[in-house]
Amino acid sequence: MKSKNNAIISAENVSKSFKIYFDKGYTLKDKLLFWRRNRHEKREVLNDISLKIRKGESIGLIGRNGCGKSTMLKMLTRIYYPNSGKITVNGRVSSLIELGAGFHPDMTGRENIYINASIYGLSKKEIDKRLQKIIDFSELKDFIDNPIRTYSSGMYMRLAFAVAINVNADILLIDEILAVGDANFQTKCFNKLRELKKQGITIVIVSHSMELISEFCDRCIWIEKGKIMGDGPTKKISNKYLEYMSKERNFASLNEQDRISIISEKNRRKM
Amino acid sequence: MNHSIREILDYRQMIVGLVHRDLRGRYRGSILGFLWTFVNPLLQLLVYTLIFGLLFNQGIPKFYLYVFVGLIPWLFFSACLTGGCSSVLDQQGLVTKMYFPREVLPISYVTSQFFNMLYCFVIVIAVYIFASFTAFTDNFQWVIPSPNFYLPLTSLPLLFIIQFFMCLGMTLFTSAITVYVRDVKHILSIISMLWMFATPLMWKLEGDRFAKWEWLFMYVNPMGGLIDGYHCILYGGTWPNFTYLLASTGWAILAMVVGSLVFSKAKKRFAEEM
Repeated sequence: MKSKNNAIISAENVSKSFKIYFDKGYTLKDKLLFWRRNRHEKREVLNDISLKIRKGESIGLIGRNGCGKSTMLKMLTRIYYPNSGKITVNGRVSSLIELGAGFHPDMTGRENIYINASIYGLSKKEIDKRLQKIIDFSELKDFIDNPIRTYSSGMYMRLAFAVAINVNADILLIDEILAVGDANFQTKCFNKLRELKKQGITIVIVSHSMELISEFCDRCIWIEKGKIMGDGPTKKISNKYLEYMSKERNFASLNEQDRISIISEKNRRKM
Repeated sequence: MNHSIREILDYRQMIVGLVHRDLRGRYRGSILGFLWTFVNPLLQLLVYTLIFGLLFNQGIPKFYLYVFVGLIPWLFFSACLTGGCSSVLDQQGLVTKMYFPREVLPISYVTSQFFNMLYCFVIVIAVYIFASFTAFTDNFQWVIPSPNFYLPLTSLPLLFIIQFFMCLGMTLFTSAITVYVRDVKHILSIISMLWMFATPLMWKLEGDRFAKWEWLFMYVNPMGGLIDGYHCILYGGTWPNFTYLLASTGWAILAMVVGSLVFSKAKKRFAEEM
């Protein structure tokens, strides 16, 4: 029971489905005249997911494309809300789903730090306190007072990452965005993430890079077709996942005859 | 309810940032830059004064002042009516990628328009003080106004507050609906035009018509009482009609209640609908 109290993120029986419109009418005319266009199918993305994440854990969310991991992350961020079930998050969340939100090209790097950080919910005082740290981390030095339309894309991303990582969140949600800057800056980002992990920040990473996940996460959650297929130590789950994926790959490369025989073999075994 | 208000307060820096970004970014790259804030309403004033002053003049003395003191608050209102509805939709990138209390977007839009109006009020007050030294006659004549003439100015903040919340409630409502039905924007620009002529901005409710239509233009039209208030204070130099203002306050409260209810109901699916 004690672990329940420690849960910093908990999801109970969460399901999420989207309406997939075949040809969505956004306007009133479309809605009235072409009501048939509003036909949609319900696509279930997540189905009855329950999980608990304790403070200080680093979690890797894995699964194939379209399995629902990004949707899960967006629900933890509170961009999407579940259709049923409940998600509780205790603490400040910084989501690195998109970097540089709210950046205005005509404003200086410094001004954009204020705007971007404020979208993470920081007050002016809190930003003032972190400003130097952010500028140092971004390595922009003298460029910080230039409008960011003059920045290279690497500089832009460095600034954005520097803000996101210095928000001092309790929970970091990261979606496949760590390809920032050159090799040195990437190393710096990873070191910073490691440091945050040591400080007891809870980190949830969505990635296809098993290398990153196995290096960084203690626990892995594997989502397949909207359900949790595996949850446990990274090594165990990632091996299972890779095995599953390679089996499927082999299966796909077989010719039709072989596929049929494998399926009937399976069915026979089930019976 | 309480919780969401506290959360919006936590995000006040975001509101400040967005307002700042909007006010500074709006005229970037144009030659006159920030001056457009003043030039734009002045040009509109010129158009309306010429057309209504020369063609359809009701014989309102100091017509330029009459139009001007009503036009500036009206432009705030109509900007919220026609532009506020896309305040959420326009920030698609933010809404689908970040969490923040969604109310921040309409609040910053209305606040930025509000500040725009306040800047213009610097000119309104200047023109008003100049005009107060001229008499309400056909011939131009200098007069010395009594100091009491300026006393009603102290009631201006009350009008600002009522109008701010009326605009905010309306924008909360329209911006939430627009995410789901995109035509609201086009409907609203027509409504805004109609509403403008249904408000005593360039004409005055007088004589028989006053008794007959007072209920419609002063009580039913939420902007009627407010514009009348601005006219009283900045044109006539009298206190506003507080009964009208009470009606406007009622409208503002209604707008806020309906607006925040609809918005909080609609906001959960914003990201999916975009």
